[in-house]
Order: sequence, then C-alpha cells, then structure tokens
Amino acid sequence: MDVLEEPGKKVVLLGNEAIVRGALEAGVGFVAAYPGTPSSEVPMTFSRIAKKVGLYFEYSSNEKVAFEAATGAAWSGVRAMTSQKHFGLNVAADSIPPVAYTGVRAGFVVMVADDPSAWSSAQTEQDTRYYARMFKMPMLEPSNPQECLDYTKLAFDISEEFEIPVFLRTTTKITHSIGTVRLGEMKKPKIRGRFQKDPDKYYNLKPHLQVLHERVNEKLKQIEEKYGQKLNTVFPGEGKIGIITSGVSFEYAKEALLELGLKPPIAKIVLTHPISKSFVSNFIKDKEAVLVLEELEPILENFVEQIAKEANPNLVIHGKDLLPKSDEYNLERVIPALEKIFGKKLGIDFNDHKKKVDSASKNLTPRKPVLCPGCPHRSTFYAVKKVFGDEAIYAGDIGCYILGALDPINMQDFIVSMGAGIGVSHGIGIVSDQDVVAFVGDSTFFHAAMPAILNYRFNNAGKTPLVVVLDNAITAMTGHQPHPGSGFTGMGEKVEPVKIEDVVRALGAEVKVSNAFSQKQLIQALQELKSIKGPKVLVSRGGCRLLTRRQFHAKGLAIPIFQIDQEKCTKCGICTNDFACPAIVKATVEPRGETVYSINPDICLGCAVCMQICPEGAIHIAKREGEK
Amino acid sequence: MKFDVMLTGVGGEGVLTTQVMIARAANIEGHYVRGVQLHGLAQRGGVIPTFIRFGSEKEVSSPGIMQANADLILAFEALEAVRATYYARKEKTTFVINDYPLVPIYASLFNIPYPTMSEIVRRIKPFAKQIHVFRTSHLGREKFGSAIFGNTILVGIVTGLGLLPLKADSLREAIKVTAPREMENNIKAFELGLQLGKEKRSARRVT
Ligand SMILES: Cc1ncc(C[n+]2csc(CCOP(=O)(O)OP(=O)(O)O)c2C)c(N)n1
Ligand code: SF4
Ligand code: SF4
Repeated sequence: MDVLEEPGKKVVLLGNEAIVRGALEAGVGFVAAYPGTPSSEVPMTFSRIAKKVGLYFEYSSNEKVAFEAATGAAWSGVRAMTSQKHFGLNVAADSIPPVAYTGVRAGFVVMVADDPSAWSSAQTEQDTRYYARMFKMPMLEPSNPQECLDYTKLAFDISEEFEIPVFLRTTTKITHSIGTVRLGEMKKPKIRGRFQKDPDKYYNLKPHLQVLHERVNEKLKQIEEKYGQKLNTVFPGEGKIGIITSGVSFEYAKEALLELGLKPPIAKIVLTHPISKSFVSNFIKDKEAVLVLEELEPILENFVEQIAKEANPNLVIHGKDLLPKSDEYNLERVIPALEKIFGKKLGIDFNDHKKKVDSASKNLTPRKPVLCPGCPHRSTFYAVKKVFGDEAIYAGDIGCYILGALDPINMQDFIVSMGAGIGVSHGIGIVSDQDVVAFVGDSTFFHAAMPAILNYRFNNAGKTPLVVVLDNAITAMTGHQPHPGSGFTGMGEKVEPVKIEDVVRALGAEVKVSNAFSQKQLIQALQELKSIKGPKVLVSRGGCRLLTRRQFHAKGLAIPIFQIDQEKCTKCGICTNDFACPAIVKATVEPRGETVYSINPDICLGCAVCMQICPEGAIHIAKREGEK
Repeated sequence: MKFDVMLTGVGGEGVLTTQVMIARAANIEGHYVRGVQLHGLAQRGGVIPTFIRFGSEKEVSSPGIMQANADLILAFEALEAVRATYYARKEKTTFVINDYPLVPIYASLFNIPYPTMSEIVRRIKPFAKQIHVFRTSHLGREKFGSAIFGNTILVGIVTGLGLLPLKADSLREAIKVTAPREMENNIKAFELGLQLGKEKRSARRVT
C-alpha cells in the first residue's frame, strides 16, 4: 500500500490517504471515527493499516462518541485523531468546545471535510470554518494531497505545543483529489498513556471556567503570533492587484493565472483561524485591489474588509461580488472573475461552449444514481408501497435508501439529518391522522435513532408512525464500514453483533423481523404492524447485495443470476417501471422493432425479488457462464 | 508539459481503479500527478467523471480539467461519452469509446430510448478530433470471464494507438501494484489491448 511506502518516495495519494500518512508521520496512536463522505477514506485507510502499524483504531457509533474517545486518549497523553464530514461535526459539536477550553496533553487533530456542490451529501452546503471561530480552535487548511500530509503532521505539533485540539479542514476536491506526494519518516506510535487528575486543567465550573476561557484566548493569540507568518505564504508578483486565497481555490488560482498569463502577488492562507492580522495587513497595504478566492462563505473576505479599514481604507475588495456563495469553484468559475478584474481575456467562451454541449446532449437518456441491482432496500420499498400506498407520508433518512427519493420509488418525502425522519414523524403523527412510515438504516439506527424511538414510547400520543429499519448489516453508503450490528470492528476483530430487535424491545416498541428479499414475509409483517397502535418497528433484514457479491467473489463462488423467459413475458413492464431493478433492460430489437425485456448478466446480483413480483412467473434462475 | 485525461463511466464499472492505474504509471515516469475522483452517490450506478492530469508541477494544479480542455477522453460506457463533451473540443480532444451500453432505468421509465452508437458518434463529432470505438467489455467477458477486464483492454488500446503518452512498461508495472489479485488476467488484457491499438494504428483506420 502506497500509504505505507518508504520515506523519500514519491507516490500518488488521495487527499484522505495523505492525511493518514501525515498522522502516521506524527506518530498518531489513537483514531476513532464515524464515516462520512468526503472524509470516509480516512477511517477506511486507518482500518486497513492499524494492526500493521500498531495503532488503535475504531469505528465509533457516531461522531460525538468518536470525538469523546479521542479526547480521552489525548488527555491521557496519546496522540489522537478523529475525522468526519461536515454534518458529523454538528453531531460532535456538543462535546467539542469544553475540550477546546480545557485543552489536551498529547496532540489532537479533528479532521473535517466540507462538501461544496454536495458531491457526496444531501442536506446542505454548510461551511464548517465558522466552528473554528465559535469553538475557539485553530484551523489549518491544505490545498492538495502533499499539503494534506504536511499540515496534518504540523497540526499535531501545534496541538501539542499549545495543548489545544486543532481542526484540519478540507473540502471534497481536496480529500477526493489525487496528487503526487513526497513521503517522510513515520514515527512509531505511542499507544499507552495515563490520565492524570488536574483540576487546574479540567475543572470547568465557574469561576475557574473564566480562567480556562482566558487561557484559550491567550493560546489563540500566541498561535497567531507564532504561526501567522510561518504558515501563510506570499508569492510575490507584479502589479497592484493581489489575490488572497486558501484551500483548493489556491490550486484554481494558480492554474487560471498561468492560463491567462498573469502574475499578480498571491497571499495563501493556511491558518484560517486565527487569521494573522499582520500578515493580511502587510499584504494589502500597498495594493489597489484584491480578489478573495474562497468557496462558500465570505469568511476571509469579511476579515480582509475589517483589516482594510485601518491598513488600507481605499482598497477595492472583490470576492462574492463576482463568485457564488453556493456550489463549488472550478477553473471555469475562477477564470471569468480574473478576466473581469485584470481586463484580460482567455479567448474561450465558456457559456457558448456550454450551450453547444447542452444542445449535443438534448433528449439524452438521463442517468441518476440508483439502488444497486439486487439491493434489499428496493425490495422493502416495494412491499411498503404495496401495503401503505401512495398517500402515506414517507419520512426519509440518509443512507443508500436516500435513493428511494428518485423515480419510480418516490418514498423519501423529506430528508433532514441522520435519525431525524423518526423524530419529525412523531410531530406529524400527533397533529395529523396521516399514515406515516419512517425509514432508517441500521448504521443510522445505532448512530441517532434510538432516542427518537424511546420518545415514541415515552410520549405515546397520536398516531404513532411505523419505523422501518433497513438492516443490511453494514454502513453501505459511505463504503461498507462496520457498525455495532455488523459483527466485526474497525480493527477486523470479531464481536457479537447487537441485534436491532433486542434494542427496539428494550426501548419499549413492538417489533417484527422480516427477510428483506421475501415479498411475502415483508407484506405479512407490514400488515400486522399496520393494525398495531403505539410504537412499532419492522426490521427488514437482508445483506447489502454489493457486499454479498464481493464476499462471493472472494470465496471464488458465483452469485446466481436470473433470466426472463421470453415465451412467458407479456411485456407488462412491472419489473422495469415499478420495481426498476437496473439489471432489467427494456430494449427495441431490430429488425422488427420488437420490445424485449431482458436481464443484463453482467450486473444482475441474483436477489430473486424480480421473480417474486413478476405476475406471469416469467423470471427464473439462470446459470452465469464463465463466472469467476 | 501537461496532459489531461478524462475517464467517464458508471459507478461499479471499475473506473476508479483505472484512474489509479494510469496515475501510478504517470508517477513511475516522474510526472507530477493531479486528478479527482467523485464518488459518494455516484457509486450507486450514477455517472463517475474522473480526471487524471500529469506533467510539470508548474502547469498542473487544479484537480479537475478545465472545460473544453481534455486531451483524451476514455468512455467506459457509450452514452456517457456524450455528456463528457463538456470537457472536449474539436482541435484537441480524442474520444475512445467502449461500445457497451448500460441502459439507465430512465430509458424505459421516461421512454427516452438509449441512443444507437451512430447517434452517439454523431453527437460527439463537433467536439472531437478523433473518435475510436471498441467493444472492450464484450471482449473482456469473452476472453477473461468478466466485462470489468474491458477497462484494462481499453487502457492497452490507447497506449497502442499512441494516444496516452505513457510507456507500456510503466503501465505494466502500475497494473501489477493496482490489481494484484487479478494481475495475470489484467496484464493479459492490457497486452491484448496494446496489440489491438498497434494494429489499428498501423492500419490507420480512424473512424
Ligand atoms: C451526521 C452524519 N454523519 C455521517 C453522514 C454520512 N452518511 C450518510 S448515510 C450514512 C450511513 C448509512 O448507513 P445505513 O444507515 O446503515 O444505511 P445504508 O447506506 O447501509 O443503506 C452515513 C454515515 C451523514 N450524512 N451525517
Ligand atoms: S434477480 Fe432480478 S431483481 Fe435481483 S438483481 Fe437480478 S435482475 Fe435484479
Ligand atoms: S451498496 Fe448495498 S445497500 Fe447500497 S444500494 Fe447497493 S446493494 Fe443497496
């Protein structure tokens, strides 16, 4: 594996892998995380190498628990790290600020990945840079994989030097970008420590709380003084117009300026909290104008405005006047902004090209993400719709089943946050008479759903929604990480899986378990639960089919595949239009223009559900030729 | 020097593995490499636009390719070649397409039929310097038992055609580390593609 290559070697790493290497070079000994894309490859990489390197790694049940565990390690003198996507930080948020106040003993890095343009998220495009300000924590922002490595390593040192947890903030186009990285020396991890009682450090009740608060303020001031010049760089250039930027925007600026043949001075900010006042003021004092390039919120821009009041009141500040606050940046967005400010043209009309592309793609068959062929969720959705119909309210959640929001399933009427479907349904059930079904995944169940189900039991009022737990034994959406019900840990150790039905019973709800791949079982269980008043849960159990296929392959076994009997098929279209397994294809066959339904043997994953829903009994098992 | 490759296809087709393979080969030759993979929802049958950029560190920094600027586009799924025209232009871009339709469920759901190969080529033409079409997934299934080997065959083809400025040896070495489990078949698939590419190159039959 490239992450563990020899020092001095140049390898190509994903941003997330480079972060792991940086942590290894810093001698990290304890890592706890809950997955969330675009940060997921951080824990996945740790999970792969933890045993080999000799560090402790765990997939925790959620981000808050992960942050707390890492805090315990850092407090006990072991270098610790946690990682999450932006929303994960919202979950951990309650526990973070007190730790910023008390500080840590060993280096503690909190990695977070934002997702401008929502490549791997629904929900929002939140900018977590605000958290650094609110929580009083330093924040470092790399621009590319090499810097991911360098600044992760440095973040540990800064954290330990000032005894404060440090944010490493990234975005999708950094964590999921690849780049050449030069590797350094890895440090043998220290994995054992001891918690020392220290009221002066940990006692955060009034009036000592204010002492701690002043202490963290002082630490930030010192960090600004020591690292404000060191970590941020000015690339000298020509003219009175400057660029101020950070993160991936720096990469765009560099290339866009080269394309345009421009060489303005650039100030690159890596320590985006606390931002160095003297660094910014030195840069802007002799400029006529600056362009601030940063995705999402105008945080640097507002800071520059504030500093300019004293340092250079006549400075013209561009940023969000020319570029959007939503979505991500790229060369096509950055170049026109530069063209405007510098009055130089690249000679490519991006809009005109886009128009030509749109016309070439007109009426092209759309392609959107879909549940995999053979996905247990599709089968569960199908049965639930049979029993509850189109009128029921379907509360959504965030897992692979979020794809149930699309045609033809359309069974995710709203999506708020992990576990929220159950909570929101409680309110709907109390104020209306509507049938409500709340879907939740198994990983999400353990992460955030248990308090909401408990609340049904406690405040048992109105029409209690039915909760359907889609139990595929894994955290599938983010790349198949284990959770408490999976039966193994992030270190690959076998453990007794927690059964969701046992938890649900203990929470005080009725529960039924059904095989997710049996339409008959599902429909029977759903009908029985529908008539029950009070808290009720269906656990629909069926392994993630993609994972099942991988397990089959690893064992050298062939997954069974299915076939449509053309003699029996009446071309009713139920399998494509209602059930919509992507392996089933409707095609027009020349020369007679006949419509034929068939199953693509390359992608059928043999779940056998199409066989159950075909009213003609036209689908049957087939043998896959040459299957490996 | 700067060379921009775009790979496009559908989640589950092995596009990301191919990206790693080409990136490693470029690294072996001492190029500075950048690029981006976009997964997440796309892993579930969505489109996966993927970039590999290599050359001098001075010239390559953005992870993504600029609009209309790809040197080479490899489409592992035929229809997705059309959507990749965003990154293509007539003076610069060569398309190499795997004639392998993965028909989206929307074709039947919304009754928007999957275009024929000639329709696909017609739509791409205004954006392409050259277009090459091969049936590598079929070949992969036929010769090595799985359509997934079509990817490595395609990489062999573009190397043989001289469209990817990397040495065959660098790619062989990259394949060995990228796909250790299926190494033997992948190397064979690469050699097969290389041969096909070379033959077509010498025959100068460019569609
Ligand atoms: C607070 C938060 N953490 C992490 C994520 C990323 N994420 C999206 S879905 C998901 C879990 C999916 O697992 P599961 O509920 O088991 O559903 P499956 O994908 O297996 O169907 C995660 C971790 C998120 N959206 N929000
Ligand atoms: S068995 Fe039927 S429903 Fe299941 S994956 Fe194959 S074609 Fe799709
Ligand atoms: S990865 Fe698994 S759970 Fe997710 S859509 Fe595919 S089969 Fe379903």
